Amino acid sequence: MKLSIDAERCQGHGRCFELAPDLIDADDLGRGEVLVEGEDVPDALIDAARSAVRACPEGAITLS
Amino acid sequence: MYSQDSDENEKRKALALERSSTPREYYARLRSVGATDGNEKPGAVQLVCRRDIEEALRTPELFSSVLVDTDIMGSVEPIIPLNVDPPEHVRYRRLLDPLFAPKHMAALQPAVLGHTNALIDSFIDRGSCDFSAELAVPLPCSTFLTLLGLPVDELSALVRWKDIMIRAETLVDNPDDAKQLQFDTAKDIYARFGAEMADRRTKPREDLITFLTTAEIEGSKLSDSEILRICFLLLAAGLDTVTISLQCIFAYLLEHPEARQMLIEKPGSENLLIEELLRWETPVQQLTRFPTRDIEIGGCPIRKGQEVQLALSSANVDPDGVPGADQVDVTRNDIRSLAFGGGPHRCLGSNLARMELRTVIRAWHDRIPEYAVAPGVTLQWNGSTLRGVDHMPLVFPAGGRA
Repeated sequence: MKLSIDAERCQGHGRCFELAPDLIDADDLGRGEVLVEGEDVPDALIDAARSAVRACPEGAITLS
Repeated sequence: MYSQDSDENEKRKALALERSSTPREYYARLRSVGATDGNEKPGAVQLVCRRDIEEALRTPELFSSVLVDTDIMGSVEPIIPLNVDPPEHVRYRRLLDPLFAPKHMAALQPAVLGHTNALIDSFIDRGSCDFSAELAVPLPCSTFLTLLGLPVDELSALVRWKDIMIRAETLVDNPDDAKQLQFDTAKDIYARFGAEMADRRTKPREDLITFLTTAEIEGSKLSDSEILRICFLLLAAGLDTVTISLQCIFAYLLEHPEARQMLIEKPGSENLLIEELLRWETPVQQLTRFPTRDIEIGGCPIRKGQEVQLALSSANVDPDGVPGADQVDVTRNDIRSLAFGGGPHRCLGSNLARMELRTVIRAWHDRIPEYAVAPGVTLQWNGSTLRGVDHMPLVFPAGGRA
């Protein structure tokens, strides 16, 4: 499963990099930036990835 | 005619008090009746369903933030970036967002912790305090002064200004006088920031006003008017919002000893608790938009330019929009919250607010783990769309933690 953020939808709420700091970081504008772009999310971090997806107020994150 | 108006006024006041005292029940009732409500304010329509509110937040071309025939807290000029629509809005946010990004907020945190501890020092040996007047109000004001590079001894003047901006009607009886006071104060605020701006141009410093005087958007410097309208926004949006958030969270904690126990035992647990309580309590209950054409929502016609209130307090707990939203769980990490709004106008200061809330809640529970409402006192909600508790007399063992 791969994680991605729709940059058009992201508004910088900042929930994702709090909930999944090993997978997502904040850029200079405070928007989410996937650290593992195009890579499979390790099993140990799947739960963190799922909570980032669910908590995003803009529904900008997908895990598929 | 007059008595009819004043009856209407009383009815609206009673509704506003009910809304701030029992928001979840209030909005559950409104949602059971329909998607819109017209009883809040003459001529305005309130949206109460999660889906409609999300849609409005994300469609600025249809739900504009540009003021139509009204002022904003006494400013007749639109304030920036609150009353600006995309694409202009995007340019301002690109300039301002980095200043309020998590990295910058982390750098400001030690100063906020210093202010918090100094305020707690001032009452801890007494074994009692008014949490609102002695911590929730002054803390965001001190933070604001630090951020803008203004002297700390301006605090009481700042508190007075923001009270007039946010709730002039509670300071003056006659509504016309209240409005005039707001207009006069807005002028004073613009004059005061104008003087600070001129000072920074000759003597640049490491502060936000200096940054604004040197900043450029696409190669052009900001105009004086733009800088002042950004300062006005920071003042309008950065003070009471944090105050009422602290009040809402502490009001919850006072009634939920198990949540307090969690904060005492598990440092760091405040992060999720704060997110959940901002959603559950939704201190900033509404946002305002103006449709750019005639529309219809849930069978209710809404005219172009008519004031539309987006009830975040309702959207945040609407289980038809987000399953489970009508339950509170201070350890959950998987629910979407609109406490900071949404769409391109997502609260500019959300990371600052979070940092302030985390700092205060952590420092308080480290130093004063045992506390209660003063005997004989019942907390009263303020009846404002900025939902809070104006007086919170608390008692605790003198000196706090032994």
